[in-house]
Order: sequence, then C-alpha cells, then structure tokens
Amino acid sequence: MAVFRPGESIGFREQVVMKLCSIDMKTHQSAGKLYVCEKIRNSSELVFSFPGSWSVSDWFIRSPFGEVKVDLELFPSLKHIGLNEIATVNEAFLNRFRAILANTQFKKEVRTAVTDGKPVVFTGHSLGGPIAILATIWFLEVYIRPDPNKVAPLCVTFGSPLVGDRIVSHALRRENWSRYFINFVLRYDIVPRVSLTPLSFVEQQLQRILNFFNPRSPFYMQENVGEASGFYVTVMRNALSVVSHAACKIMGSTNLLLDTLSNFVELSPYTPLGTYVFCTGNGKLVAIKNPDAVLQLLFYTSQSNSEAVALNSLKDHLNYKHELQECLKKQSVTCLDDNHLEALPLSNDVTVEINMVLNDLGLSTRARLCLRAAGELEKQKKSNQKAIDIKMEDIERGLGKLQGYKKRCQHKVGYYDAFKLSKDKEDFDANVKRLELAGIWDEIIEMLKRNELPDEFEGRKAWIEIGTRYRRLVEPLDIANYYRHLKNEDTGPYMVRGRPKRYKCTQRWREHAERMSNESLESCFWAEVEELCIKSGNPSIRETILQLKKRVEQQIRNGDLDDDVFLKGSTFDKLLKEHSLTNLDQNDIFRGSWS
Amino acid sequence: MDTEASPFESSEMLATFLTSTPLLSMSWSLCDRANTMPSQGFVAEQMGSVGHLAFSGVQLGSGPDPTSGRNLEPLVTATNGLFFPLEHQFDGEEGGGEEEGKEPVLVHAGFLRIFLSVKSNPNFQNRMLNMIQNSKSIVIAGHGIGGTVAGLCALWLLSYLQSISSNISVLCITFGSPLLGNESLSRAILREGWSGNFCHVVSKHDVFPRLFFAPLAPLNPQLHSLLQFWQLSMTSPPLALLAEKLLDEGKSQIFRTVLASLEGLAKAEQGKNVTCGFWPFGNYFFCSEDGAICNDNATFIVKMMHSLLLNSSPSCSIEDHLKYGYYVEKASLQVLTKTSFPPAELPESSYEAGVALALQSSGIACQDESVARPAKNCLKLARRMGRTPNLNCANLAIKLSKITPYRAEIEWYKATCDQSDAQMGYYDSFKQRGASKRDFKVNMNRRAKWVNGSQFYMLLVEPLDIAEYYRTGMHRKKGHYISNGRERRYKIFERWWKERPIKEEEKKTRSTFASSTQDTCFWARVEEARERLDNVRNETDPRNQALLLSSLDDFSKYASGLVERKEVSKDVVARNSSYCMWVRDYEELKSQYVQLHP
Repeated sequence: MAVFRPGESIGFREQVVMKLCSIDMKTHQSAGKLYVCEKIRNSSELVFSFPGSWSVSDWFIRSPFGEVKVDLELFPSLKHIGLNEIATVNEAFLNRFRAILANTQFKKEVRTAVTDGKPVVFTGHSLGGPIAILATIWFLEVYIRPDPNKVAPLCVTFGSPLVGDRIVSHALRRENWSRYFINFVLRYDIVPRVSLTPLSFVEQQLQRILNFFNPRSPFYMQENVGEASGFYVTVMRNALSVVSHAACKIMGSTNLLLDTLSNFVELSPYTPLGTYVFCTGNGKLVAIKNPDAVLQLLFYTSQSNSEAVALNSLKDHLNYKHELQECLKKQSVTCLDDNHLEALPLSNDVTVEINMVLNDLGLSTRARLCLRAAGELEKQKKSNQKAIDIKMEDIERGLGKLQGYKKRCQHKVGYYDAFKLSKDKEDFDANVKRLELAGIWDEIIEMLKRNELPDEFEGRKAWIEIGTRYRRLVEPLDIANYYRHLKNEDTGPYMVRGRPKRYKCTQRWREHAERMSNESLESCFWAEVEELCIKSGNPSIRETILQLKKRVEQQIRNGDLDDDVFLKGSTFDKLLKEHSLTNLDQNDIFRGSWS
Repeated sequence: MDTEASPFESSEMLATFLTSTPLLSMSWSLCDRANTMPSQGFVAEQMGSVGHLAFSGVQLGSGPDPTSGRNLEPLVTATNGLFFPLEHQFDGEEGGGEEEGKEPVLVHAGFLRIFLSVKSNPNFQNRMLNMIQNSKSIVIAGHGIGGTVAGLCALWLLSYLQSISSNISVLCITFGSPLLGNESLSRAILREGWSGNFCHVVSKHDVFPRLFFAPLAPLNPQLHSLLQFWQLSMTSPPLALLAEKLLDEGKSQIFRTVLASLEGLAKAEQGKNVTCGFWPFGNYFFCSEDGAICNDNATFIVKMMHSLLLNSSPSCSIEDHLKYGYYVEKASLQVLTKTSFPPAELPESSYEAGVALALQSSGIACQDESVARPAKNCLKLARRMGRTPNLNCANLAIKLSKITPYRAEIEWYKATCDQSDAQMGYYDSFKQRGASKRDFKVNMNRRAKWVNGSQFYMLLVEPLDIAEYYRTGMHRKKGHYISNGRERRYKIFERWWKERPIKEEEKKTRSTFASSTQDTCFWARVEEARERLDNVRNETDPRNQALLLSSLDDFSKYASGLVERKEVSKDVVARNSSYCMWVRDYEELKSQYVQLHP
C-alpha cells in the first residue's frame, strides 16, 4: 500500500489546500459577491473561490432531482460520443454558473491569468463547490481543449454536492481531465449525500438544514438533534437505494427484478466525478479515483450504529478547516487505486497495514465487497480493451485486403460499382472481408453500449484513426450492397434507415476529436449519389448534383475522399453525364493524382 | 468476451436494494389494512404516479375452503383468454420430444375462483381502470391467500397491458403466500420475461408458503382449523386463542408432513423429476432477524425453503405467518446499520465471502454445518444456472456477425447459378448437382455450422433444403415437404417474421425481382404441383381429374401473382428452372385437356 506525502501523486500541496479551505470559508461571508479572486502568497496560483447560496431552490430547481441536459455549445465534451448521449447536470447549479459567466469581469480575469501563464484554481466549500466544478469544466473546454499545452487548471472542493450524471464523469475521464478535480469529503458530512435523495423526501427539512450551514443565518449552528436524526436516516436510506442498485449492477446481477424495481423508485442520476479524498476524522486521508467505488464510499463511510452520527453528519460539514489542519500534522494519505480495491482485505484485522485507515473509515465487510466489485469491474473493462486492441491487427489486415481490391478495381469502374455488380470471385471475397470487419466493429459497438470498455477508450487516437480509415474504405461497400439488393425499396434510403451504427459511431469519434462543427459525411457520398439517381428524371435536381460535385472536389482536395469516384462508367459519372455536368478538364486533374 | 459467472454473489445486495426502498413497508401496511377489512376483499391507493393495490388474506364466503385438496386446473379453459400470453404453447416446444412441454399451464382452482369473483366486482373494475389511467407503475400485494390472488391479478394485468402495448410497470409483492401453479406456469412466466415482476416475501419459519409441496388430502381437518386460526388472528385475536386450542395436535402433523416432503424434493438429484404438482415462480425474498436475500432460481428456492425449516418448530412455523409486519420493519431498520462478522470465519475469495454473508442474512448460522453446507451449495448452483441464459442472449449478436460471411458464400452461390449458362437457377443446380467442389462446400457450410440468422437465412437456405429433400427422394418416404418434411426452425422463423410489427413503408412495390423469393416454401409448392401434374396424366376418374386440375390452376395463379409482384428472385424465372418447366408442361396439358374436353 502506497503511503505518500500529500501532493505527490494526486496533484495538490497541503499548504495550498489549507489556504484554499480558509479562503472558501471566508468567501461565504462576502455578501452579494458572485466570486472572490485572490492570490496565494508565495505561490503563483490565482484562486477563484465561489460562495455557497443557501436556499433550497439554489440546489433543486424541481422534484425529484432537478437535472437538465447540458448545452453542448457551452460544454461540447460533456457527452457519450459513441452512444450519442448528452450529459445532464443539476440545473440550479448550472444557472448560478451561467450568471457568473454573464459577468464579463470573471471572464476577463480568467483570460488575463491565462495570458500571464498563471495557474488557475477554482474552489468552493459546500454549495460553492458545484460552481467551482462547472467553472473548471468550462475553463478546460475553452482553453485546454484547443491547446493542451496551456497551464492546466485545478479544482478543489470541500463537502460539495454532486453536480452531474455518469456521462459527465465518463466524459472527463475520456478527455483525461478527471485528474484536475479534487473533492474533499469528511467522513460523516451529509451534504454530498443529499444529492442522492429525491427532493420530495427532504423538502420540509432541507431549508432548515441549509440555515444551519449559513453563517449569515440566525440559525447558524443551532443544533436540533431530533430533526438531524430524521434527516440523516432519510438521506442514508435513499443513498443506500442508489448504491445498492449500483452494486448489483457492478457485481453483474442479471436478475430482472432489479430493472422492475428501478421503475418504482426514483434513483438519483448524480454520480461523483474526479478524485475524492475522504477524511477519516482523525487526521488521515484516503484518496480514490474509481467513480463506482467513490459512490459506494459515500454511503458506507457514513454508515454507523451510533446515535451521535446524525449530529456529526451536520457538524462535519463545517469542520473542514479544523480537520485539514490535523491532516497536515499527520501527513498520511492513502491512495486506493483499482489494484488495491480488487484485493481489499475483507476483515477488519488490525494486523493488516491498510486496515489502519480502512477501519478509521468504518468500512464493513459488505462495503469492502462492493469496493472489490468496483475494482474488479474496472479491471474487466481494461482486459476487454486489451482483447479489442488485439483485434486491431485483424482490422488492419482486412483493410489491407480491401485496399488492394479498391486499387485493382481502379482499372475498371472503381470498387463501388464493381462491388455493386459483384460479377467476379474477387467481389465475393471483398464481401466476405466486409462482413468479417463488420463483425469485429459491431462487437466493439456492442461493448460500448453495454459499458464494458474503459471510459478512456473513445479518446484514443489509434482507434479514432483506424475507425476513420475503416469508415471511408468500407462504408461505400455497405452502400453498394444496400442498393444492390434494393433494400431501399423495403426499408427506405440508406441514410435514413439503413446506416449501421458502426459508421455513425466512428464518424462521431472523428468529429469530436477534430472539433468539427458540421457532420462529416464524406463516406456516405455514394448513398447521396444513389438517391439522386433514383430521382434522376426530375430536372430540378441538377443544382443539387452540381453542389454535390463541388463538395466532392473540395473533399478530394482535403484528402477525405479518393478521386476514383469520377472514374468513367461509375454511377456518379453516369449521373453527371445524364445531367451533362461532366467537365473533362477538371477530371483530368484528379485522374492524375491516383497512384 | 467473459463467459464466466460473476465473481460476486449479489442475491443479498438485491434484497438490500428492495429493503432500502419504501416498497415493502408500503405494501405491508396496505396488506395489513386489507386483512382487517375482509368484507371488501381489497384496498387500493394512489400515491403520485404509483398505484398500490392489496388483497385481503382473509377471504370470506368464497364457498369451499380454498386450501382443501390441491386441485390444479388448466388456466386456458377456465379463463376465456384472460391470460392469453401464458396459454399458447411455444412452437419450439411442440413435437420436440421434451416431456415437460406437454403439461398445460395449471393453477390452483380455488385461488383462481377467488380472483375471478373479485375481478367481476364492478367496484374492483372501476378502481383498476382508474389506476391504469393514472399510474406509471402499479404494485399489487397480498398476505397469505391474498398473495395468490395478487399473483393472479398481476398475471392478468401483465397480459392485459401487453395486449394494449402499455409500458406501465407491474410489481407483485406477496407475504407468506402458498404456491400458485405448476412448473409449466413457472416456465411460461420465464418465457414472457415476467419473473422479475414477482417478489414473494417468505419468513424463515412460515409454513404457509411451503404447504403445497406436501400431499395435503389426509390433513384436511387440521388445515381447516389452521386457516381459521390465521384468519381469526388477523380479524379478532381473542377468538384466535380458542382456535389455537382446536389446532393443537394438528400443528405438528402439518409441520412433519411438510418437512418430509420438502426433504424429498431438496434431496432429489439435479435433473431427476420429482414433481409435487406445484412449483415456485418469480423471485423469493427470504427474510430473517439477521437480514434478507433475494433469488429467482426455483431449485435454490425449494432447497432454501427446506434448509430454513429444519431449525424451526411446529408452533414457530405457524406463528411466523403472522409476523411479517415485524420482519418488514426490522429489515428496514437493520439495512442501514452495520452487522459485524467474526473475522476468523471470513473466506478470502469475494464470492465465498458473499455466500457466507448471504447465508448469515438468511438466518442460517455457518457453524451449523449440516444445514449451511447444502444451502451454500445450492446458492452456488443458482449462480451458474442463473447467469447462462442472459449471457447467451447477450452474445447472440456477436455470433450472428460471425455467421454472416457464410451467408455471403451461399448468396454468392445463388448469384453464380443465376448467371450460369445452364439457366437453371440455384434451386435446380443444387438439386441436380454432380460433385462440383463449390457445391459441396456450400452444402458443408449449410449443415456443419449452427446457423442463427433468421429471415435472411430462411429466404436463402430453405430452398436448398427443399431441393435436398426432393433430390434424395425423401418425399416418397415421408410425404411432401410442407406437411411432413419442414424443419422446425423454419416454422419458428416464419412465426417471428409474421409477428414483427409491419411499418407503412414496407408495403412498397418492387421494381425488380427480389434478391430472394419471399415465399420460402415456393419450391416445395412447385414440387407438389409437378407431382400433381403427373397424377392428372395418369388419372382416369374424370372427377378426380377435375379436382386436380383446379388445384393446379390455383397454384398457377398464385405463382404468376408472385412473379408479377416480383416477389420471387430471378432464379425462379430462369428459363430451365423447375418452375418454368412446370409452366410449360402445364400449358401443354391444358391445351391437350381443352382439345379432349371442348
């Protein structure tokens, strides 16, 4: 078990964290300000600290969880690329962040810091935390995505509620941004857990609890034990629903009752993101990155048989400064990575070294089993990825064969039309190769759909690149096959009903990686041609064909498309001839470039 | 891809999930209310978008004692299509030679009667209609006999919702309810994918859910007083004391009989069929003072029922039926607290540890080897059997993609035949093939690989099977293909195809010949027509001749219709195909016939 000094591998320095925590607590006092910008003495960081806001409607905009799909204009990365799903975040937090963004002063100060090459830190305690997280994502989208060499930001939160759903966490891990987020959670602090509870369960009590936290409220730190314990039990019960449902899933349960039950209970969509650092309450820190494991810990670290825990669950939220001071003295940070999780000791036997800290977190055997399952799942995903990586060679070989086929057909009418006619043995062999490749890709897509690959998978350059090459080379064959068998008469146009997911998905990979604003449909060129051929009798399509021709020429210049589409006798060539749009001079320019 | 079972035991975690929700306590409190007002039979309540319904465990005036005898009755005949999805036998089972497939779906006659009488109640119908209109999900619950009524009600509701394509979720929660039907019912529920909609809560000792495993006829009087005792305990506890006295001796008789029958079932070897008529379905939620586990494997459920009863006593087993309120409350409090486990006994493997914890939760102490070991073993058994079907299903798509290259090979064969000089089409080439190497390879691929593509496969391959059938002269031995020789997979595929929802745009007309003939039995029909053509020539009785001729005429019209709509592929109209030759023969015969009979 690695025990290391703070700052070595999770990316923070203890002095800085201490300082951030006191800035955040102070920020709560500054009335009416949207944020506080401060420099840390003896350090180059520029700190943006966000105050909390203490009304229920600043947390839950509606029942049950008040989430909303993110605006992809603002956060273009917050999506699942392959499945084309958009992330959701808490709408109340998003609105507060938008208000800050509307403030030009904020944008200006950030821009100045970036131009000066100063590292920027976004931070917040309690309900200020979510704003810091959204600000950091915004910063990453605006500055780091176009230029990864810029100084990376840091986000540090203390006792922050959860902000977004699984897709947010997935997207941050895919972009390799997850490491910039560090969330400190004191063992019993109730606030991060409240996000797992539907509003209707706590609507009555939540405002009073928020008043307890609000330093400017007359009820600040006014203890009310009865209320606290009712609140604690409700929150924990709902947290248990979420984590036990998640645990069943990560343990691989396939019982149908699980799905039935989730139709009867409102399960919070929110999941943790970034690194979590749990404070044991006696000066020790446990850092953990696996989001499934963090979710489990949110319940199990706070599980207790003692009566006093309910009150502690409120007090802990205001105790970060004191607790971090303790941690500073002890300097004990334990980092649990996936390998540790998978082999976690199940008993609380104190002779095992790591149990010194796990026992301080109060982890039961059941909790440890859940953590093991989370570690095991991540390991399984990694090994799935390895298995898929090996198949890359098969894909490469298949693409090589088809490339050869394409080249040979160059001397005839081009491989699209040769394949569409399928006269020779060679065409048949190409069809078998096409189907073999489709099998491999469909398997990958299926794994993505079932969430069986690591979050990082879709961000990997090698796969994006081979996906693009595959799509450009093989999709024309799929289109040829589609129109050869007249599937359009049964099913409708290829683009509307017939396009396989394996092409849509690989296309989105590239569009995201290259930050393209428009759809890049170069591989569907033939489908467009076929549809135009069907409408060929209609003279009004001449203009459309002309447009298509211009676009194709541009794409050939960009290297996105090969010039064999203009080969004599090809479907496209015939279409152009029919509408007398051939321009021999121009074609000759392209003709020469093929090798 | 990983085909191993999960390295974790999740039946306890599933129980934790259910317990953490308000569903159990909510359902129980309604059941409790329903029990205290038996005259109405049920209680209904709407909570937001969730409708709750509970049936009383005390059933008054329902004629003969419903537990008397264990008479099962077929669901089909008694209910007039109320449960239609459970009724039809799956095509795949007929004539498959599997004996279990033969028994129809049976349910307990008494419970069915109670349900049908509740269902005919206009008050119930109104509430139900209201609930369906206002709910996204509906919970149906019941205690004891009320649970069996709830089970039937849920089955009926699921059938009804399926017929109107509604996506309202249904959950049936029963507390200490007896078994409802036979193994065919259990299998039909599995087939419809409804097993996840049923959760039967069974306490550690309660004898009622275990009752129907035993032959009860000799115990009728004792059972009668037992039922009376339970019902009085729910409605008027002072009277129950009297009833309990009456019961006295009966208690241990019932207990011993049930335990002995369960012992027989639990000890039965895997695969050997020791039937008791009744069989569990859906999930069972076993609860004890120490927690709960939830599992849907029937074999496991039976063994667990046995293991848990071993440590019980006659009076415990009867009182436990009245303690569900206590169990539900206890479980819901307990789930939030930590239970410690003696470290010395904790296995290191995640799976073994999970099993040990699950047993602890179900109330079986690990120290008690004789009880714990079989329970452990059957939990492990349930794990393997429970996961395979799902994995199979998930991997199907991948297998399918591995088959498609072979399909392409067959397609290629068809295409080359269509274009060859012989002008016979692939049906006839295959039928008359010599020893050409490619022909042989096609034959190998068709037979050697387990093939699972459905419609496309059928369109392409069935004609080859028909050709093979007539080539090898099977029709002389077994009769014509369609009625005697057609393989079951084609019948099933055809049903899948016909049952798919048809979209508007699919009804377009074709501009060229289809790539494969849409009526896969087309060639078999041609073969039959050819035979009939010969028969006409040899037939002397003019009446028979006329009959044959008119059937030939029907076929000729049908076939030319297909050709006109271009629903056949090119090979059918190849100049020397069996079909074209038949058409020529037929025309010739017709002209002869017209000359002979002007």
